Amino acid sequence: MFSLLYRMVRDRALAEDLAQETFIKVLNGIKSYKPEFKFSSWIFKIANNAAIDHLRRKSIDTLSLDGAPGAETPDQVRATSLQLGDRAESPLDEVQSRELGTAIERAIARLRPEYRSCILLRHVEGYSYEEIADTLDLPLGTVKTYIHRARNELRGYLDDRRE
Amino acid sequence: MTDISMHLNTDEIELWAQGLLPAARAMHLADCSLCRVEAQRERKVILELVQLPKYAPSAGFADRVMAQVKIPTPSGDWQV
Repeated sequence: MFSLLYRMVRDRALAEDLAQETFIKVLNGIKSYKPEFKFSSWIFKIANNAAIDHLRRKSIDTLSLDGAPGAETPDQVRATSLQLGDRAESPLDEVQSRELGTAIERAIARLRPEYRSCILLRHVEGYSYEEIADTLDLPLGTVKTYIHRARNELRGYLDDRRE
Repeated sequence: MTDISMHLNTDEIELWAQGLLPAARAMHLADCSLCRVEAQRERKVILELVQLPKYAPSAGFADRVMAQVKIPTPSGDWQV
């Protein structure tokens, strides 16, 4: 669950805060747990909602490495680009750059948050399409579409890297 | 019954990438370079994804969480 949060928000300290918030909600709200759901799915649902809420609050729908989606001029792109790997200021920054600086991690960061949740649950956590649909409260067809689109986008980003 | 000459759909390509596609359908890849290229690209991405490491929070995380959880006492009250 921490891995999902970390890859969603790409900030270790923030991911720990959200994981803590998630576990406190789970432990304090254990009476509202419905046994027909897998317990781990319930935890992932709360964690994912916390991450998506955070990203919406911060209005960063896509953590773009190439600047904010609305950036039009080169100056705007430069000002809003994420800089990974250079100018690491603290040991934590260095850890993050090392952990999330690989091509595949950078490609995942470019995905829409909804696609990111689905692809991480499917291929990193090993959930089935049906479990993802239950966890994220999405129709099965939507989950399939998101995952296929996410993989297509990832392939595009990784092909660009190789060219 | 699926015609062996039909191109693989996205679900079938994912099954193939995971080694789960029935042999009868997988045989299509031997004859169709279009599907073969598509399937190999898909498998590369899936392999990169499944090999991603799992990360853990820093030491002391569990203690910090438990310090904020309300625990019921025998008298029925809650203690933090």
